[in-house]
Amino acid sequence: MRVKQLSLSNRLLFAVSLVLTAFLGLSALSLNNAFQASADSAQQKRLKNYVYTILTAAEFSENGLVTMPIELAEPQFSIPNSGLYAQITTGQEIVWQSVSTLGIFIALPEHPGASNEYFSKIKLNDEVTVLNLAYGIVWENDQGKDFNYTINIAEDLNTIDQQKADFQRSLWYWLGGTGLMLLIAQWLILRWGLRPLHDVTSDLHAIESGDRNRLSQNYPKELNQLTQNINTLLSHEESRRERYKNSLADLAHSLKTPLAVFRGELESSLDINELRQSSHEQLDGISALVDYQLQRASTEGQSSLLAPISLGEIIHKILVSLDKVYQSKNIQRQCEINNDIFIHADEGDMYELLGNLLENAYKYCNKQVSVFVQSKDKNVIIHIEDDGNGIPSQAQDDIIKRGKRMDTQIEGHGLGLAIASDIIDAYQGEIRLERSHLGGAKFIIQLPKQ
Amino acid sequence: MRILLVEDEILLREQVTQQLQKQNLTVDSAEDGQEGLFLGLEHPYDVAIIDLGLPKLSGIEVIQNLRQAGKDFPVLILTARGRWQDKVEGLEAGADDYLVKPFHIEELSARINALARRASGWANATLACGPVTINPTSQEVFNNGTVIDLTAYEYRLLHFLMLHAGEVLSKTELTDHIYEQDHDRDSNVIEVFIKRLRTKLDPDRTLNPIETLRGRGYRLTLPRK
Repeated sequence: MRVKQLSLSNRLLFAVSLVLTAFLGLSALSLNNAFQASADSAQQKRLKNYVYTILTAAEFSENGLVTMPIELAEPQFSIPNSGLYAQITTGQEIVWQSVSTLGIFIALPEHPGASNEYFSKIKLNDEVTVLNLAYGIVWENDQGKDFNYTINIAEDLNTIDQQKADFQRSLWYWLGGTGLMLLIAQWLILRWGLRPLHDVTSDLHAIESGDRNRLSQNYPKELNQLTQNINTLLSHEESRRERYKNSLADLAHSLKTPLAVFRGELESSLDINELRQSSHEQLDGISALVDYQLQRASTEGQSSLLAPISLGEIIHKILVSLDKVYQSKNIQRQCEINNDIFIHADEGDMYELLGNLLENAYKYCNKQVSVFVQSKDKNVIIHIEDDGNGIPSQAQDDIIKRGKRMDTQIEGHGLGLAIASDIIDAYQGEIRLERSHLGGAKFIIQLPKQ
Repeated sequence: MRILLVEDEILLREQVTQQLQKQNLTVDSAEDGQEGLFLGLEHPYDVAIIDLGLPKLSGIEVIQNLRQAGKDFPVLILTARGRWQDKVEGLEAGADDYLVKPFHIEELSARINALARRASGWANATLACGPVTINPTSQEVFNNGTVIDLTAYEYRLLHFLMLHAGEVLSKTELTDHIYEQDHDRDSNVIEVFIKRLRTKLDPDRTLNPIETLRGRGYRLTLPRK
C-alpha cells in the first residue's frame, strides 16, 4: 500500500527545510565550539600573562622573603572582589596575596613544581567559581639555596561564562533569523517556479468544464513538450470522436436503404426463392456496411504520438499469410522494399490498409502480384500491382472517391478499397489507380511518414 | 471427412454443425478452447474450424498447441472483427485460411473442401478417379457419367477413400474419419460398406475399385485424374 503522494511543493519545502535545519544547526554547533575553545585558550593565555606581571613585580630577598609593590601593573589586583586574584605560596603557607582577595579565601591548589603550570576550577562559594592557574617557580639565592614558590592566579568564571552565553544567544538569533528568511525565500521561489504547473492544472480544468478546448501555448520550455503533446492528444481524440459520430450516423443512414428494400420484398414478394435470393443480397449489403463502418470508426488516424512501425515487416507478414491462403493459385509475387521503411502510424490501420489492398491483388490477379515500397522525401510510396483484368475506367473514380458511402456496392474491389481509401484519408495520404505494365490494376499510395 | 468445429456461440455452432452434417460431413463440436484442444489432440480430423475469440483458451493458443503437438490437419479460422492483424496472427500461428463472420455456409463448406483437397494433393473441386467422380459441393457421385445413389455413410466412406486415393487406409482410420466422436462404432460395419460400394461402383466386377490388403486395410486403386 502506498501513502498518499505529497505534492511537489510540499516535497521541496520539506526537503529544503530539513537540509536547512541540518546545515544551520551544524554550523551553529561548530561556531559555538570554536568560540568556546578560543575563549578558553584566551583566558589561559591571560592568566599566564598575569603570572609574568606578578613575577616582574616581585622582589625576592636572600632569605626567601617576598616583597610586592602596593600598586601592580594590573589595577584589577588592587580592587577588592574584582574577580581577578593573585597569591604566592610556598606550598605550605601563603607568602603574599593581592588586595583583591580580601575576604576571599583561595584554597591552596596543587603544587605543580618548578616551571610547571596547572589549571583547575575552584568553587569558592555558591556564587563564585574561579579558574586558577598554579605556576611553580624556583628562587635561588646567592648561596645557591633554592626556594620553591607557587604563583596562583585566579579569575572569576562568571564573566567569561556570561560572554559565552551572550555569544550563543546572538548566534541562535542570527542563524534562526537567516533560516527563517531562507525558508520564506524558498517558498516564494517554489511558488513562482511551480506556477506554470498550476496554470496547466487550471487550463485542464477549463477544458474539462468545456470553457476551452486546448491548452494555451505560453509555457516554459520544460513544460511545452508536455502541453503540446496533450494538445495533440486532444485533437487526435477530437477527430476520432468526430469519426465515431460520422460513421455511426452514416451507418444508421446507409442501413435504411437495404432495410427498406428488405421490408418491401417481404411484403410484396410471392415467390419464396426470389425472396430468399433478394434477402441474401440485402443481408450481404448490410453485413458489408457494418464491416465498413466498424472499420472506419476504429481507424486510429494520424498522430505524432504514434511510435514508428516497420512497413516492411507488416507487408512481409501479410504476404506470407496471403501466400498460404492463396496457395492453390500458385502466385508469383515480387516484393521490393527499399531499406526498411518506418512510418509513424497505428499498426492496426496499416495492417488494414495493406491487408485489404494486397488481398485484392491476390484475389484478382492471374499469376502475378508485385509490391514496391520506397521512401521519398517525407513520404512513403507504395505500389501494388497485379496482372488481373484491372478495373474498368468509369468505375475507377467511384472506387476511390473519398468518403463514398457504401450504398452502391461495387463488385469485387469495393469494400476493401473503400476501407483502404478511408484510412489513407485519415493519414492525409493519397491513392491513385493506374494501369499496371503487368496488365491489371496498379495502386499507388502515398503516405506521410510523420 | 471428419471436421472439428470450435465455436463458443451456441446458435452459430449448432447451425454450422447441422448444415455441415447435411453435406455429409462428420462434425465434432467444442464450445471452448480447452475442449477444442482436447478433441483436436485426441482424434484424427481432416479439417478444423476454430473461432479466434474463445473462452478458456484463445483460438490462437489452440492452433499453436495443436501445431506443437504435430497435428498437421488444415485449420480454418473464423473471426468476428475481420481485423487483418488477427488474421495474420492466426495464419502465423499455423492456420491455413480465414473466414470473416457473418459468412455463407456455402462459402464455409467450399473452404473446408478446398483445404481438405489441398491437404491430400487434389487440385480440382471435383475429385475424379477412373470412371468415378465425386462432387463434394453437391455431394453427387457419378460413375461413367451416371449418378450413383449412395447412403450417407457410403458417401462419407467413398469421399474419404477418394481424397486419399492410392493410400492404404486401415479400418480404424476409416471408422475414425466417418463417425462422430460419440457414435457407436463397429469396425465390421466398414466391411459391409466397402462391399456395398464395390457393388454400386462396379456392378460388373471388372474394375475392382477398392482393394483389400489383408490385415492392413483398404485402398482405392482407381487412378486419380
